[in-house]
Amino acid sequence: MSREAILKAVKANKPEALPLPDIDLSVFDEDINLIERFKENIEFVGGRLLEINGLDTIDAEIKALYPEASKIVSCMKESALGTVPVSKDTNPHTLEDIDLTIIKGNFAVAENGAVWVSDQEIVVRALPFITNDLILVVPKNAVYLHMHQVFDAISERERTFGTFISGPSKTADIEQCLVVGAHGAISLTVVLY
Amino acid sequence: MAHAEAAAKFNENEAKVNWHDKALWFVRQKRDKQAHKVQGWEQLRDYASALKANVLSNLDSYLVQFEENAKKNGVIVHWAANAEEHNKIVHSILQKHNAKKIVKSKSMLTEECHLNPFLEANDIEVIDTDLGERIVQLAQEPPSHIVLPAIHKTKEEVDELFQEHLGTKPSGGNPEYLTREARKHLRSKFLQADAAITGVNFAVADTGGFVVCTNEGNADMGAHLAKVHIACMGMEKLIPQEKHLGIFLRLLARSATGQPITTYSSYFNKPEEGKEMHIIIVDNGRTEQLSREDFRRSLHCIRCGACMNTCPIYRRSGGHSYDATIPGPIGSILSPGKDLTKHSSLPFASTLCGSCSDVCPVKINIHEQLYKWRQIIVKEVPQPFVKKIVMKAAGSVLAKPKTYDFVGKSTRFMLKHTPKSLINSKINTWGHARDLPEVKGDNFEDWYKKRQKNE
Ligand code: SF4
Repeated sequence: MSREAILKAVKANKPEALPLPDIDLSVFDEDINLIERFKENIEFVGGRLLEINGLDTIDAEIKALYPEASKIVSCMKESALGTVPVSKDTNPHTLEDIDLTIIKGNFAVAENGAVWVSDQEIVVRALPFITNDLILVVPKNAVYLHMHQVFDAISERERTFGTFISGPSKTADIEQCLVVGAHGAISLTVVLY
Repeated sequence: MAHAEAAAKFNENEAKVNWHDKALWFVRQKRDKQAHKVQGWEQLRDYASALKANVLSNLDSYLVQFEENAKKNGVIVHWAANAEEHNKIVHSILQKHNAKKIVKSKSMLTEECHLNPFLEANDIEVIDTDLGERIVQLAQEPPSHIVLPAIHKTKEEVDELFQEHLGTKPSGGNPEYLTREARKHLRSKFLQADAAITGVNFAVADTGGFVVCTNEGNADMGAHLAKVHIACMGMEKLIPQEKHLGIFLRLLARSATGQPITTYSSYFNKPEEGKEMHIIIVDNGRTEQLSREDFRRSLHCIRCGACMNTCPIYRRSGGHSYDATIPGPIGSILSPGKDLTKHSSLPFASTLCGSCSDVCPVKINIHEQLYKWRQIIVKEVPQPFVKKIVMKAAGSVLAKPKTYDFVGKSTRFMLKHTPKSLINSKINTWGHARDLPEVKGDNFEDWYKKRQKNE
């Protein structure tokens, strides 16, 4: 096997040990309105922000945004809009024609409009990608300034799979013309409550 | 073919070259805008560079740590010394699962290893799922840019390709329509795939996990639908700790396309129940590059493409003119390490303006390394007669201040008085599309002296 040979060659060829840098996160501090910055960025990446007070009205708000959606997966107990139940054992291929998926996210990033979701919230890994439209619901006090803070906040989790989602899927591979809706969700709405 | 000849071919279509030039410059400007918005951007670059230097100096222990943690997570780890081994490992995994239909997201490593032709020769269908890569795959061409694989294609060309291969209607190159059709076509491929292959943007030593970034969502669609996920990574993709992802993810997309982050940054640690996840760690010349003191920093590269977008030569010569898997400035320091004779013209495809080094998120001294390769190449690779004489003369002139001064003065004299016929002559390829600049007044030294005297 090549493992030993590769490791031996690396050992012989690597330079003298250099230390890990001391990282001073305070150089990235900024005193800003986090929700405002998040909003700017989510709009920049082609997503939409909806701010509501509490989760009581969430179903009515979603219905108003996606009146046509009929095959809906809801991964949060506060929303009763789900019409297609999913569990860990759901075959992801059966989710091919899902119209709308509602997922709770616990961390949002002001600097880039991203929301972190992981296995615990998305239930089936393919779900946030295969769904036609996606709604991510995040508490207002879970908007962090930058990625360093979020990695700190998620450092204690059980590591299986997680993803930062920033806006709907997109491509500019045909003459640099931006087209929203490549292979993943065609639209993304973040609901801050 | 040397770079200059291939570039001349690309330049035959002037309108296309102009578009290419402007489109990439626009991406560079978007990068600037995003970079300027980040508090502490230069600090981020410094940290990223220092982290990569630390990784290279401890690469063996980080690799072992990564392997250990990945195995604990239930991931199967393989090691490949070269392209051939890499391809065989992929093939053996596919054979084990009797996998015949494969979807693959963007991975420059699998390009480097020529994985697609190898699998196709073994009766396996491989579909590139990034839209740009699918376009070049249908055109049977290699990508011309590492982030924008089809940047050399016009929308009309894509229209024709899709009509021929996907049965679309003529649309005059409507990007919306063509993207929708590609979505339908590739969705059926995702749903049928037996296995998915992805690249790796970052592998994390202290967790054994790895991150894959896309805008289209194609890596995730493939990996989460198929039963088997094979992630192929160059060994330099490691970073020490999970928290360092914060630094690299902040830099990557901003440098690449001027987005604050890619749409999806997916972090894989454990396979889903009932599924298999493999990682192949590939050397293929990297340990050799690690041994070259002057060039090892090229292994810091996170493949953002910023050095290409900013390079005045790349923008006007196109990625294919480099005839190498990785084109542009960074490719021109990686490729000679693999085959010095074949790629000997690449380090000369640069003005040494240094713009590449200025934008590089991990602070690789790209233009200095290009210059160093030149010094090696003129010694080791036979040079054409004209270049040899000119280099010799230039070398002896630059070495002697007095002669430099004299030559400088006479050059300015020549610039003013040389007849056009000589400048645009056949031997002087530089003059084919150029005139000499108009010379105004003094040289720097004369000007400076006069200024000192307040003249
Ligand atoms: S060399 Fe630097 S600028 Fe060029 S692709 Fe690599 S990381 Fe990006």
